[in-house]
Amino acid sequence: MIARSLTDKGRYWILILPALAIMLTFYIWPLVEIFGISFSEPKPGFENYVSMFDSRPIRTSFVITFRVAAITTIWCLVLGYIVSYAIYNTAPRYVGLMIALVLLPFWLSVLIRSFAWIVLLGRSGVVNDSLGAVGLINEPLPLMHNEFGVILSMVHVMLPFAILPIMANMKGISRAYVDAARGLGASELRAFVSVYFPQTLPGVLSAALLVFVLALGFYITPALLGGGRVLMISEYITYQIQELLNWGVGTSLSVALLLATAAVILAAGRFVNLRRTLLERR
Amino acid sequence: MSGDSFKFGQDDIAFKQDLGDIALERYRAGKIDRRSALAMLGALGLVPLLGDKALANAKELVLVNWGGKAKDVLQEIMGDTYAKEAGIKVVVDGAGPSAGKIRAMVESGAVVWDVCDSGPGSAIILGERGITQPIDYSIVDKANIIEPFTWEFGCANYFYSYTLCCNPTMLEAVPQNWADVWNVKDFPGKRTFRKSVRGMLEPAAMAMGAAPSEVYEFLGDEAGIKAAIEKFREIREHIIVWPSGSMSQQLFLQKEVAIGCIWSTRAHLLKDEMPDGSFTTTFNQGVLSPGAWVVPKHNPAGTEQAMRFIAHTADPELQVKWLEAMGPGPANPAAAALVPDDLKAWNPSSPENRATQTVYNDAWYAKNQVWAEELYVDALIN
Repeated sequence: MIARSLTDKGRYWILILPALAIMLTFYIWPLVEIFGISFSEPKPGFENYVSMFDSRPIRTSFVITFRVAAITTIWCLVLGYIVSYAIYNTAPRYVGLMIALVLLPFWLSVLIRSFAWIVLLGRSGVVNDSLGAVGLINEPLPLMHNEFGVILSMVHVMLPFAILPIMANMKGISRAYVDAARGLGASELRAFVSVYFPQTLPGVLSAALLVFVLALGFYITPALLGGGRVLMISEYITYQIQELLNWGVGTSLSVALLLATAAVILAAGRFVNLRRTLLERR
Repeated sequence: MSGDSFKFGQDDIAFKQDLGDIALERYRAGKIDRRSALAMLGALGLVPLLGDKALANAKELVLVNWGGKAKDVLQEIMGDTYAKEAGIKVVVDGAGPSAGKIRAMVESGAVVWDVCDSGPGSAIILGERGITQPIDYSIVDKANIIEPFTWEFGCANYFYSYTLCCNPTMLEAVPQNWADVWNVKDFPGKRTFRKSVRGMLEPAAMAMGAAPSEVYEFLGDEAGIKAAIEKFREIREHIIVWPSGSMSQQLFLQKEVAIGCIWSTRAHLLKDEMPDGSFTTTFNQGVLSPGAWVVPKHNPAGTEQAMRFIAHTADPELQVKWLEAMGPGPANPAAAALVPDDLKAWNPSSPENRATQTVYNDAWYAKNQVWAEELYVDALIN
């Protein structure tokens, strides 16, 4: 009865109300509390933020975070582009299989994948043991407990996030343009650089944004493979709260990370269609 | 809002929880008697803690530790034996009696805990604030506890150490002291230190020549602390940190590190897990740290019962069983002689091993930990 008296719009609101309530209670409200704590513990004021900017390890940790995220993004774009290109432009028969292989790692938790890398990259891990057995190296290579290991594993985890937007973009590109360029006498390379690549740029930019933003908040992989010296902000937050019970600094770091991420997204908004990238993906 | 607002009384919770994990590993390895499925569920946190609390009444004694399988070990070695002797049921609750929780419980007037596994730092601050009861040394015999680890409001229950461990098969020579550990030229290989600063600056100070007895004098001022921090910056390229006890063990097992400063309880496990000759520990220049029993005010079983229980736990034979089960060093000086020969070298509180160690100083950490921690992280990443 009541429902009938409502407009369509009203009915939609009732439908999303449970989801909205859950978001408000379990996501928005705790977030507001986080903001609150960052300004009130141990005493009210901006003290946490001031000490955050004064602290050299925190500054370094931010630099490490952005550097690792940036390098991860670049590698993901390069590799992701090649994979997507291969999927749509080489063997059409295997498109389904290749997409399945891209998606497969999604079903494994990041934790498991990081542990798998530990097994591979350790001093007595699979890679070092094999290289040693063939006689290519005398001493095990330092493959993990450093930035190399962290980035390698992060690229692995993030690759599908780069591939999917690029692939979606490539799917909509007609072969006809490249064929026309070739027909007009452009070389294979020229046709790619001047005709094909510019059309894939929106996909590349959305992939870049997605990977970079997700990489900024990465926790498990650097914690497991960084050996303590690739201290990204998320890990630093855990450390402040769990080890030092320093909720003031921990929460203000969270707020800073959130703001930094928001800034990245806003800046990217000038180049990327955010609505398409973040809201209507896949 | 911030959990423990009781910073000064904050003991090394991470260690206590780690002890629980250790017991679990021993259980898997068949070194601890089989316990019921219910106890396993309890260790996993699947039996609600409220169950234990609801049971609390004067006909039983509630002993609180930090959970994990250590809960079952404590139940078996100390709880069940006391139940037989005193005719009162002993229930071990693994809720983790942090200073903040004990304070909240006493201040709310609903005390359900009788004896808590705490630390000297908490024991002192809780006592000063009138939250815990003084230990009745007419019941708990001071002679049964290694000197000077008896305080007005708490007494030592066991010991653990930060010790120098290494894998000789990965090294040409075995490092004997911290100066050797800092000598990366003659002792090449990765080292592991704790992710937190706790128990780490002491080795650095000793590497610079401070005697074990003078460590905290050396670290007594800013210059000393900064010098110790710089020591870590020196070898940062050679360091992998351990964020948890199990991780420190893994690093040795997977031969990621050749040398490390880890908990003696983890070394106790490694000595059995590593192939013969590939793991050694020395208590030379170790950092010895005691745990402490404390009794909250108005505990349900009454003061006398709690004190009698504490006296019971000081039994040297039980203490040796505890060491055998999971590695904590006995608090009773008489226990060291009863330790089987093959375990003597692994007992952090034997007279020989105590003689070469420094004693973890809670007051120093209360004063300096937060800012030393920041410098420590800086040294490792910058």
